[in-house]
Amino acid sequence: MGASGSGKTSMRSLIFSNNPASLTARLGATIDVEQNHVRFLGDLILNLWDCGGQDAFMDSYLTTQRSTIFQHVGVLIYVFDVETNEMHKDLEYYRDCLDGLRQFSPDAAVFLLVHKMDLVRDKGGTFERKKKELQEQTEKGQGPGQVLTSVTTFGTSIYDESLYRAWSSIVHTLIPNAAVLSKHLTIFAEACSATEVILFERTTFLVIATSNPPSEPEAEPRNDLEPTRYERTSELIKAFKHSCSRVREEFHALEMELPEFSAVLDEMTKNTYVLIIVHDPTIETAALRLNIRMARRKFEELQGLA
Amino acid sequence: MTSTYGATSSASKRTVNSRNSVNGVARTKILLLGQRRSGKTSINEVLFKSLPPKQTFYLETTMRISKHAYDTVIPLEIWDCPGNITVDTLGAPLSQFSALIFVIDIRDLYKQPISKLVEFIIAAYNDNPQLHVEVFVHKAEKLQEDDKIENFRQIQERVQDHLLERECEQMPYNFHLTSVYDHSLHEAFSKVLHKLIHSLPFLEDLLNVFCANSSSPKAFLFDAASRLYVATDASPVDSATHNLCCDYLSMLNAFGPLYQSPTSTPARLRIPAAEPSPDDPAPTETKDRFYPSAAASLHPSAPGTTLTYHLITPQLALLALVPTGVWDGRRGLVEYNVVFFREGVQEICDVEREARGGG
Repeated sequence: MGASGSGKTSMRSLIFSNNPASLTARLGATIDVEQNHVRFLGDLILNLWDCGGQDAFMDSYLTTQRSTIFQHVGVLIYVFDVETNEMHKDLEYYRDCLDGLRQFSPDAAVFLLVHKMDLVRDKGGTFERKKKELQEQTEKGQGPGQVLTSVTTFGTSIYDESLYRAWSSIVHTLIPNAAVLSKHLTIFAEACSATEVILFERTTFLVIATSNPPSEPEAEPRNDLEPTRYERTSELIKAFKHSCSRVREEFHALEMELPEFSAVLDEMTKNTYVLIIVHDPTIETAALRLNIRMARRKFEELQGLA
Repeated sequence: MTSTYGATSSASKRTVNSRNSVNGVARTKILLLGQRRSGKTSINEVLFKSLPPKQTFYLETTMRISKHAYDTVIPLEIWDCPGNITVDTLGAPLSQFSALIFVIDIRDLYKQPISKLVEFIIAAYNDNPQLHVEVFVHKAEKLQEDDKIENFRQIQERVQDHLLERECEQMPYNFHLTSVYDHSLHEAFSKVLHKLIHSLPFLEDLLNVFCANSSSPKAFLFDAASRLYVATDASPVDSATHNLCCDYLSMLNAFGPLYQSPTSTPARLRIPAAEPSPDDPAPTETKDRFYPSAAASLHPSAPGTTLTYHLITPQLALLALVPTGVWDGRRGLVEYNVVFFREGVQEICDVEREARGGG
């Protein structure tokens, strides 16, 4: 949800339809609610409700369609245009939405995206200011004693990797066995002498799980890799997949022996890709590929595919 | 914020120049000309400093001639000139230059840029008939497809008319339609570069041999950092394939620093980073150096292709399309061919370096 023109459909088309950012200008306004079923990880079906943001629609969501809209909500994503002139009205709708959620699906997680960050110069400062403003509003909207499960704020832009960061953490909350997957990835990483193993969803290339999950802070300082690497990887692979599709080819697998590291990116199961990063120069990429093939069965079982 | 992108500011440039003159390498000079705000500095920054195209908006106007050195298969020196420069104020005879690139904004159909271009063409005709004159009709992304072709044609026509009037129509020149937002700029600049590389036929022969022996339908020798292709085999260049290779290269370039680990720097990192010192050519040593490589397999249908990447020299990379069956089954042989190709290219580069004197 979010105001008209804030970029909801743009981000949906970028993440789920593999369209490049430059084509989002062609998208028209969303009328009423566009429902999308996105098969994510095979058995998990995301039901995406892209809600048109014009005032008339918003009013009807909050009144007549209230029970339909807010029933069985897993995640509410509210998009704010960072350069909006009508922040006041936006916030009012946002508070009403929170109200609706509390009434019909109190367990829903809430994500706030401050979108179109590419338009502002002072990114850090603007985002902090917006975040604070939104937090105040959230508290006000919730009223005393009633705390919704979680509200997370992200600054995003379709022109860089920040959008993938936000969406990766959104889907992370929806995957039931994320912790189990992480555990097995860690075992797998050890078997490969890998620095890191990352599991991506196939169509969106969003990060599902990694071998060192962010919930274990003590694992982080072990290797000070670039903090934005997951999102950047998603973005790079997506961009390359898109260039492949322009010549009617389909990206399948990638292996690299770069001066800094070796890496293999290959299919793990029929709806996931795995990226193995190895810093040990004696490890051959062929061995990594063999390991992927051997691990495939196990991961299919974990996903309930076998 | 703008000042961060002011890479043309004199301080940074001067150091490049002085080092350049100390080395005493004979650089191939390229003159970049055009009206104010036509996109000369943008072209230079996007190609050689890997500035994201979106950021070119923040570039400042060039006030003085700035010279940029760039080392690829041949050492280049690009003179980025301010818009108001004329043949007389250039401060160097045109005979010094190997190529002249004149940039025209595609929306600028009026007389001024064209008459200026004609002045330069005539001056070149008198001073240096060997000069390659290339006209980049730039900012093609600003217009719709039909207008684009129409304006491109009109500009060509007007230049021709002007030259006819001045009775100077023998001077050869080429037109390219370019934009920093797609691959057209890379393709056009590559074509200019080809004319400046004297060893091009030898590089092409090496590529032909490689393709024939590795059953590869297409192979490019790219300059890895700027993503310009230096040479390709004899089969025609299909721009879709070129674009794919370009994108592949940019992905690999971006991947490198992403998973760099400062704590566990691998032993092999030292090897390709250091350039061979001039007094120690030792070609035997090159064999046990580590060269990065990569392969991406694509499969639309049964046969499938694999895009391979092998670094050849610290600057150059070989990108080849190899049938997946060949790559999976006879990878060793393909890599063996790459080693031979590498030795050939390195030899050519060594000769080139020697001929130009210095390192």
